[in-house]
Amino acid sequence: MLKTIFKRLLQLIPILFLVSTIIFVITRMIPGDPAATMLGPQAPVDAVEQLREELGLNKSIGEQYLIYLKDIIKGDFGRSYQYGQSVTSLLFERFPNTLLLSIVSLFLALIIGIPIGIISATKHYSIFDYVSMIIALIGVSMPIFWLGLMLVLIFSVNLQWLPSIGMGSLQNGLWDFISHLILPSVALATIPAATFARVTRSSMLDVVKEDYIKSLRSKGIKEKSVIWKHALKNALPPIVTVIGLQTSSLLSGAILTETIFSWPGLGRLIVDAIQNRDYMLIQGAVLLIAFIFVFINLIVDITYLYINPKINYDGKGGDK
Amino acid sequence: MKNIKRNIALLLVLVFSLTLIAGCGDPDKKGGDTTGNGGSKGVKDPTTVAEEDKFGGVLKIALSSTPKNLDPILYTGVYESNIISNVCDTIVNYSQDLSEIVPNLATEWTSNEAGTEYTFKLRNDVYFQKGKYQDGRQMTAEDIKYSLERSAKESSLNRLGMLEKIEVINEFEVKAYLNEPNAAFLTALTDAGNSIIPKEEVEGHGDKFGFNLAGTGPFALEEFKIDQEAILKRNDKYWAQKPYLDGITFKFITDRNQMTNALRTREIDIATDLGGESVKIVKDDKNLKLQEVPGLHVAYLYMNLMEGPTADKKVREAIIRAVDIDEMVKGIYQYDEAQRAYLALPPGSWGYDESLEDLVPSYDPELAKKLLKEAGYEDGFSLNIYTSDAPARVKMATILQGYLKENLNIDLKINTAEWGTFSEIASKGKADIYGMSWTWYPDPFFFLNKMFHSSEIGALGNGQGFNNPEVDKLLDDALKITDQEERAKLYKEALKIITESYARIDYSNEKVIYGFSPAVEGFQMRADQKKIFVSEDINVWLND
Repeated sequence: MLKTIFKRLLQLIPILFLVSTIIFVITRMIPGDPAATMLGPQAPVDAVEQLREELGLNKSIGEQYLIYLKDIIKGDFGRSYQYGQSVTSLLFERFPNTLLLSIVSLFLALIIGIPIGIISATKHYSIFDYVSMIIALIGVSMPIFWLGLMLVLIFSVNLQWLPSIGMGSLQNGLWDFISHLILPSVALATIPAATFARVTRSSMLDVVKEDYIKSLRSKGIKEKSVIWKHALKNALPPIVTVIGLQTSSLLSGAILTETIFSWPGLGRLIVDAIQNRDYMLIQGAVLLIAFIFVFINLIVDITYLYINPKINYDGKGGDK
Repeated sequence: MKNIKRNIALLLVLVFSLTLIAGCGDPDKKGGDTTGNGGSKGVKDPTTVAEEDKFGGVLKIALSSTPKNLDPILYTGVYESNIISNVCDTIVNYSQDLSEIVPNLATEWTSNEAGTEYTFKLRNDVYFQKGKYQDGRQMTAEDIKYSLERSAKESSLNRLGMLEKIEVINEFEVKAYLNEPNAAFLTALTDAGNSIIPKEEVEGHGDKFGFNLAGTGPFALEEFKIDQEAILKRNDKYWAQKPYLDGITFKFITDRNQMTNALRTREIDIATDLGGESVKIVKDDKNLKLQEVPGLHVAYLYMNLMEGPTADKKVREAIIRAVDIDEMVKGIYQYDEAQRAYLALPPGSWGYDESLEDLVPSYDPELAKKLLKEAGYEDGFSLNIYTSDAPARVKMATILQGYLKENLNIDLKINTAEWGTFSEIASKGKADIYGMSWTWYPDPFFFLNKMFHSSEIGALGNGQGFNNPEVDKLLDDALKITDQEERAKLYKEALKIITESYARIDYSNEKVIYGFSPAVEGFQMRADQKKIFVSEDINVWLND
């Protein structure tokens, strides 16, 4: 198993190299001169020229690419043009905020989605099953930005229970911190929660029909134990896959959610960087996200190994 | 049985959905007191509030973009200046109505005959806010020299390029030498980019000075969190008067809907840059106040003067006459967020000349057709218009497309791009027509020289290649004299030639529109969008 993990880690290197090259090419292909964009419509021509020189934009693309690669290997992502700060420090200032939002949302989605899926499967064709599955269907098809706006209208503007924008600070007390987190994380958790509920239900339904469940029941083992211990364990692999997929897409969802709730995370930073042609910042941020993506996939694969040792990524023996 | 259950389930879901939809309704119609722990109930009659009761409270104001760098010489956006100008002072300012330059850190000034030397007398009661590298020392002539020369040499937008050097005459008197006569010098000095700052802090903090900005203004910067907020605290030693407010928090909210929502929930006290439906929402909410002033703003369509059919003046006149500009403006600004424009200068500028408005060709489709025929384009042609992807520009292009097709059989292809892409195409003269807007200081120099002087061809201001030696000369001459009335005369002459050249359609002056919670007292809106909370005449306070 360790060997597999190590191998997968090695695979990260070519992937990230490829990603960094693609990002470099794409950012250069977006039309618009970063120097002119940054300085705005009223910039004198000589000021724009001077900035181009400072930023190294006068060098050939090949030269720029070599410098970029060399810096990345050194772990230096350059300086953001617009903020005048190192990209690394900007990313690490913001990343924890996105991570917090994503983890809370994932947690919410798990504790809501999976139990609902299990109960729906065990109480098949009950009212609970119908209601929760229809809501789940609405949930997966709900655009996040619409849901976010509705949540703000209901809970902030009309009821005035929760703040509508920004991130709270622990310095202002625990409630300030939590209250700012509720609406964005609920908005972000909706799609994954609904997905988890649907997948858990169908996976569980498949499992409870199996003969060994019947035999467990016939042995007189408690229903609770049959469902939560035996059935759930065997229903897990598809659920874990979906958790992995949803975790990755939480990141893209976070970008929208952050925009709606003025949450100071990576998403807003990237959108702003693209609008302002902040090459260095775009490159650094996309690389970071690519890394997280690949990393989550790695974790999912490792989790498979753990929950189902029969899976073998080396392709030697076992039923792949 | 199954069916009954399914029906019950559907019913429950329906109820759930209705609850959601109810959230979209107008909260005011629900009656009761849903919209306001603030509301108007806590507000007292401002005339009866005792002086000492006006002190206290933190005002929260939202800016519609994220400031990036608060170092005066490094800022390039618009929004940074709002924060900088509350922390720092400039030596002169524009008066509240923007008609003249008034004293600030400098009490009086004189210039020599040639307009190349300016002598300023300074206040002797001004102190810097305490920082890490100085303990709130007095501001002197040396600081003026340091700050302005730093800007002249290092400003990323070249805001003080005309300044050669500053000479310290005595502790409270300086003399500025210009490279050549430049009447826009005083206006340039009003820019937050030319704020007076303490050398110790700049050098001590280095790259991080933007996060540790210090100056002589009414509020001191306590914390600047990129993408979130800038927190300012009262400067008790402010020279003009003691601020009523304990502090100001600038919140950065890029979406108008979010901003209006935050205003309704009292998470902010002032929402700036309202437009579109947000204007209506604030207007309709009886717990909020809406205020507007005409902005120093012109939105225009600039036609290519160097190549293509629009290089022909007759074609340009035909295009102008084919568009009912009044109707177009009504169509673009459904919530009355702008007034119809005529000239390339906003009416708020002191170079504006109402008598020139008649020179703008009026709507006359028949004459337009005839002109196009005379120009040899009887069957029409196709043109490309470029605009940014801002909703107001896209709407404008669509309306224009209708008029040109209907009246002149011109096929207008609409190309929208986000700002970076757009500005590159427009400044290189690659567009047949481009639509954008211009907003800057009240001095006509910042409109006319930047958009019509031949030296600006290739920059975004004059991307379409306006080139008229007579205009160049008038604009140059207007810079060489310092008397504002004399200058205005020259600018009006230039503006006349510009208007008669039919180079553009100047269609709207957008208004500056803010929403306020009723608690805000004493705030005065300005056409230049400067947000002044405390000065010699202004002291904003919170009535709650």
